[in-house]
Amino acid sequence: MSAITRQRRRAALAGIWREFTADRGGLAGLAVLVVVVVLALLAPVITDAAELDVIHAPGLPLRPPSGRFPLGTDVDGRSVLLLTLWGARISLLVGVSATVLSVVIGTIAGIAAAHFGGWVSGILLRFTDFFLVLPSLVLAIALSSVLPQGVATIILAIGVTSWPTTARLVRAQTLTIESRPYIERAKALGGGHLHIVGKHVLPGVLPLVLANTTLVVGNSIIAEATLSFLGLGDPSVVSWGSMLQRALTSGAVTGGAWWYLVPPGAAIVVIVLCFTLVGRALETVLDPRLRGTR
Amino acid sequence: MTALLELKNLGVTYRTRDGEVEAVKGVNLSLAPGDTLGIAGESGSGKSTVAMSVLRLLPKSARVTGEIMLDGEDVTAMRWGRLRAVRWAGASVVFQGAMHALNPVRRVGTQIAEPIRLHAPEPLPESAVKARVAALLEQVDLPPARAGAYPHELSGGQKQRVMIAMALACRPRLIIADEPTTALDVIVQAQILDLLGRLVAEHGLGLIMISHDLSVLAATCARIAVMYQGEVVEHGGSGQLMTAPRHDHTRALAAAFPTVGDPASRFAPATSTPLPPEPPEAARRERADVLLAARDLRVVFRDRTGGRIDAVAGVDLQVRRDEIVALVGQSGSGKTTLARTLLALRKPTSGTVTYAGAPVPASGAGLKRFRRQVQLVPQDPASALNPRHTVYEAVAEGPRIHRLPGDEREIVVAALEAAELRPAEAFLGRLPHELSGGQRQRVVIAGALALRPGVLVADEPVASLDASVRGEILGLLLRLRRELGLAALVITHDLGLAWTIADRVAVMHRGRLVEVGTVAQTLLEPRHDYTKSLLAALPGGVAARAQIQF
Repeated sequence: MSAITRQRRRAALAGIWREFTADRGGLAGLAVLVVVVVLALLAPVITDAAELDVIHAPGLPLRPPSGRFPLGTDVDGRSVLLLTLWGARISLLVGVSATVLSVVIGTIAGIAAAHFGGWVSGILLRFTDFFLVLPSLVLAIALSSVLPQGVATIILAIGVTSWPTTARLVRAQTLTIESRPYIERAKALGGGHLHIVGKHVLPGVLPLVLANTTLVVGNSIIAEATLSFLGLGDPSVVSWGSMLQRALTSGAVTGGAWWYLVPPGAAIVVIVLCFTLVGRALETVLDPRLRGTR
Repeated sequence: MTALLELKNLGVTYRTRDGEVEAVKGVNLSLAPGDTLGIAGESGSGKSTVAMSVLRLLPKSARVTGEIMLDGEDVTAMRWGRLRAVRWAGASVVFQGAMHALNPVRRVGTQIAEPIRLHAPEPLPESAVKARVAALLEQVDLPPARAGAYPHELSGGQKQRVMIAMALACRPRLIIADEPTTALDVIVQAQILDLLGRLVAEHGLGLIMISHDLSVLAATCARIAVMYQGEVVEHGGSGQLMTAPRHDHTRALAAAFPTVGDPASRFAPATSTPLPPEPPEAARRERADVLLAARDLRVVFRDRTGGRIDAVAGVDLQVRRDEIVALVGQSGSGKTTLARTLLALRKPTSGTVTYAGAPVPASGAGLKRFRRQVQLVPQDPASALNPRHTVYEAVAEGPRIHRLPGDEREIVVAALEAAELRPAEAFLGRLPHELSGGQRQRVVIAGALALRPGVLVADEPVASLDASVRGEILGLLLRLRRELGLAALVITHDLGLAWTIADRVAVMHRGRLVEVGTVAQTLLEPRHDYTKSLLAALPGGVAARAQIQF
């Protein structure tokens, strides 16, 4: 039996891939993402981490782009290209981890609120509303200033503040699924909560959650950059946000050192755009109603 | 005199991903003013496509060939402005499913007034529009005060009346009614058909009515055209077509809606597989122990204002082994609430449900054991199956929940075979959307049979199925009773269905069972006035008592 299921799943995945590749924007976004992720993963292999050390900086401070440093150097004389490359590692790590945290919390809260209803739903929804109305940046700042500085804190701060929208979305989707007659049939067959959520609701909301996840990653990367820019990140690691912050505090911005600002800024824009393109394309593939007339 | 509507060699082709699909081919029909024409056919036969092509209401992917002459003017050649003027003022449509065709956030009076305002050559004074709306509502037997109501405040029949009033708004000469009574119960259906017939006679309108139910068409229309796979296969006067159908498909359509009281259709649903013989009466009586029973069952709802609604008001009902009980009644009579309570999907306010003499516990292992015995067959098989689950997973769901011993694959195959999906192996890997409506309903039934239950509770099991499939599913229920002794409680608004397969009938009205008895007693010698009015509302009528021999 499982052979049939596996075969069908493979066919379904192939179908999704075919539809996805029909969306040029999504495909372009995915291609850029793959290149960036590979470069970020390979950064320790293709570059020399020692050149990140302020003391052993190879160049002169704040030099415009040249043959040796294609994107110029920063205030300490380090290569901006190298910094941007290493910054991608932290930005992606924080973006993805925070998203996973936020999506997991949001999905559990959303499904529980919709499935159980009654007072469980009431409490969970008020809790969600509380986080929804709270300015999440302020909360994240408060959290990261209370907790010890570091990458884990930033992940926690972003994850804990960005789940309410996912929860709302998942709750709405769960409610529509739970109103379908096949849920009633499953109940009449004797299925308990675990069976209904595990077999019917979760597989039903997962595609939506997945598409939503790629969109949340973009937001998380921006949130990470914001927190680092505000000086709340880990000062010992390079991220795009902290590069921008250094550029501002060191006077590079007023000094006209555009090569110090543009690479991390453009990197943030490109990565977020790519995640959004992929997310939108996935959404369209998984929900044919969004497709419209072609 | 020129014909009001003339279709000459009409053909409609839809462009789809898998190439072109010919939905309608070579249809020739004509309609004189004051004439009534019924178009019958199953879903996918092209009957709605023909009707919608008259006003060019087809989707963009459709290509129309042939001529559509409306009052001597070719609709296919009309310019956009002319078409807009003709729509509603020349011909109008009573859409299918009144509950979805009305805007839920606007008052019905405003919606009826909309075409009046749009088609007025110059802005009309408010008082004139109001007077016209009031007159229209009176024409459809609604009090003019209902103009201020929102659609959700009206019943299904009232909404359908509003739709008809809308269709009449601009005094069209042709009305197209697309399944105007599908979602309505017998009594309201009779009222709507009566109303349409009267309006046609009074105003000399042309009426085209579309339905899958021949008896409904025969009650209103002078002529009927039967469509099958995009073509008109038979066309003639209603009486002649009903009494002496020539085409096989017409015969199948007529057989799907049997006449109550006709001995030929008793225990003989239109099925292609022969039924096993009725087991001897003595053997049946021997195993006739009570399985599912309700004692003084009450379910009370609170509406928004806190008012008390007695959905089920003191019901005593028994379903014995080896019998099919039909629970009939109008929509809103509490049938479905009763069924849900019997299935323990809803808690009764008071009273008890027992299974084989023991009360059904509200939770825990006892409830789970009960759930193995009593199975639900929901109304719409399309939504009763998870679209992501294969047939195998859908049927195996019950056995997995209850951890049935034995080989899972064998259980599933046996259940599919019992539900007459043969060869079962060919269906295992399919998804619901790859199956037809009848096959889906069989999968649902197989899913119930996999647990080897004692009782099936079927909520309108064939209401959403095509005529030719209805007989097959009903035949299956009857065969399961005869072969396995499986009891069933079949909830339906269709008395013909009760006549075809049930042993006993329970008539429900406003939460109470007003009459319970054998089919012959209840349907042929009704004692309660409500049962009499249900029977009187049947479009086909009841066959004369004299013919019945038991």
